[in-house]
Amino acid sequence: MNETEQELITMVLSGRAEAFEPLVTPYRGPILALAYRLTRDREDAREVAQEAFLKAFRSLGRFDLSRSFRNWLFQIAANEARDRLRRAKRERAAFEAAAREGIAAAPAPEAGRERRETRSGIMRALDALGRREREVFVLRDLQELDIRETARVLGCSSISVRVNLSSARRKIREAIRRDFPHLEEGR
Amino acid sequence: MTCRKLRKLMPLLAGDDLGPRRTRAVRAHVSACPACLRELEELREALSRFKAAAKDESVPDWSEGEWKALMVRAAGGTARDGEKKRAWGGHVLLPRWAAASALGALIGLVVLSVLFRGPGPGPAERPDPPLALADAGRAQDVVSMTMVSQETGLQIVWFFDKNFDYKGEQE
Repeated sequence: MNETEQELITMVLSGRAEAFEPLVTPYRGPILALAYRLTRDREDAREVAQEAFLKAFRSLGRFDLSRSFRNWLFQIAANEARDRLRRAKRERAAFEAAAREGIAAAPAPEAGRERRETRSGIMRALDALGRREREVFVLRDLQELDIRETARVLGCSSISVRVNLSSARRKIREAIRRDFPHLEEGR
Repeated sequence: MTCRKLRKLMPLLAGDDLGPRRTRAVRAHVSACPACLRELEELREALSRFKAAAKDESVPDWSEGEWKALMVRAAGGTARDGEKKRAWGGHVLLPRWAAASALGALIGLVVLSVLFRGPGPGPAERPDPPLALADAGRAQDVVSMTMVSQETGLQIVWFFDKNFDYKGEQE
């Protein structure tokens, strides 16, 4: 973490809330991109990123200054995205159960949003990955954290990161062969 | 190292994510195996193009108004959250399952303490029964029975004479 970040954190903690904006502005894009790649939904991503910044502000007093501030923000955003995906899964399951029973339920918001969303090819390829594989692939290969940083952000071991990364890259490779032959051929 | 083993490690090798010892072993194999080398290069190329495409794709961005509103919201939360922090002796971000487990454990402890509460104060803490007579000769003729409630710890002592006739009781 650089000195400016340390100074800004100290200022926020001493009650100067206006120092929070310059502290997090360099990460506004990366956090939103991370949230989007993990949730695969623009609206969800926006909400996840907002909640991550609000939580970061509230928890700043507990931030360990020896850590990387960027990775700490990534950790909060990844946790938030995971919670949101779990909630969405529960809502979808409840909606599908209601639909099976013939109950005239209002469509789950996620289901409608998913239909409306025009998924990019990249997002479709990421869909092929499991939750942990996607988290690991996005953090290591797209956000370019190293293995140890990725493990720390996700709160798991480096071995777990390697196992999931290996299987994620294998699946991405298959998706490239199947859906993006131009990427494989370099066209 | 065999080709089969190397192919298992290839996704990690492609991103230079193997440890130094394994990397050395793998490189030794690859330098002597054109088929593995070709496969590794193809994988590297494909992944690198995918990453480049992913980075180029349009991801959502904040509008200035939205970003400013978020910062104002964060700053506005200071006082409220600060009060909460002080009230709880520090802000603790617990996952919901942890909070639920802690609450469950607390309820369990309360229930167990009610169900398995030990007996109340022992007989030694009670005053001597009135019929534990000063006269030692007569005392030998007295029999007492003590009932202790496991639920409430309440004790009742019944006294009988040598013919087992009821002589009285004391709580």
